[in-house]
Amino acid sequence: MNFARVFLAFFDYYFGMSNKTKPFIVIVVAVVLAAGIAVYWSRQSAASGEGSNNTIIAANPGGGHIRGKATAPVTLVEFGDYECPSCGYYYPMVEEVLRRYPDKVKLEFHHYPLIQMHAHALAAAMAAEAAGDQGKFWEMHDMLYKHQTQWARNPNPEAQFLAFATDLGLDANKFMRSLKSPDVEKRILEDIQRGSNARVEGTPTFYINGQSLNPLPSGVDDFAAIIDATPQPSK
Amino acid sequence: MKKRATAIGVVAFLGMVDALYLTVMRGIHVPCSVTGGCNEVLTSAYSEFYGIPLSMIGLAFYFIVFCLAVLDAFEVAPLLKWVFWLALPAFVITLVLLYLQAFVILHFCQYCLASAAFISTIFLISAWPRQRRQILN
Repeated sequence: MNFARVFLAFFDYYFGMSNKTKPFIVIVVAVVLAAGIAVYWSRQSAASGEGSNNTIIAANPGGGHIRGKATAPVTLVEFGDYECPSCGYYYPMVEEVLRRYPDKVKLEFHHYPLIQMHAHALAAAMAAEAAGDQGKFWEMHDMLYKHQTQWARNPNPEAQFLAFATDLGLDANKFMRSLKSPDVEKRILEDIQRGSNARVEGTPTFYINGQSLNPLPSGVDDFAAIIDATPQPSK
Repeated sequence: MKKRATAIGVVAFLGMVDALYLTVMRGIHVPCSVTGGCNEVLTSAYSEFYGIPLSMIGLAFYFIVFCLAVLDAFEVAPLLKWVFWLALPAFVITLVLLYLQAFVILHFCQYCLASAAFISTIFLISAWPRQRRQILN
């Protein structure tokens, strides 16, 4: 009742106004309405994916790089592309999750460079693998994600990868050899195949103990809630 | 009420909702029931221009067009020719984005297709022959 009265009062007010003021009122009301619809709609679509949509895949795709304690009961699998902006967006969140659950969660990272879309994604994955050949995969992984916006815009990011490698104290010649090595490329292509087998559609795709996270968590707390709710397999 | 300005206003309003939705959902997985490739498109390198998300540029475009259309509809000033000159480059950019979806990214995004339809409609209405004569005068 009160709402209707406010509405009517507003209409009275509106029709009493001059034609110069009306359009501004229309614009303000439309913007508020559009914002309301968009926010409501985004909440709906974020909620609709929860629960029922989660698909179970093979819990262990094989391969991948593990960060964290091997005995951690919860495995967070990431299929990532170093050049993809969403992956860069999720990188600090994943790191925070690992910091919060040092004994409970380990990260298993797989390369899934979207070669058609990101010109340097494959080269970046190879840089990480090349650093891995000298035992510094994760250090390069961090470098690539942290400085994503710099090298991704560089038409020729190889020099930057080499600079990262030098910063990490790697042998430059050996790093460059690995960066061009067909063996390294093969490892990445195998990872892409694993991703396809696991029906990865985009990046980043996360799985927690084999359960795909769709939609992606909205923040660290959302990640934490999912991890807390994950049943831990008895070892 | 002027029919053309009102029609453009309504379409620009729908465009605002679409662009706002994509701006809010940036970095979040969006449901994609119709075309199935939204997240590939929305996270691609072409989803931003010098670091500015295209959804925000679209939002600014729709907002300006909406304001112009409303002001024109209330006969504050004849502004539809400005809508035309804004919609012309927007339409060209839309064609480029459609090309990118079809031949480069190889995925379509329903929200982007909707926006392409909105921009084409705004462009066509603003380029209506009667309007063009007004521009030439």
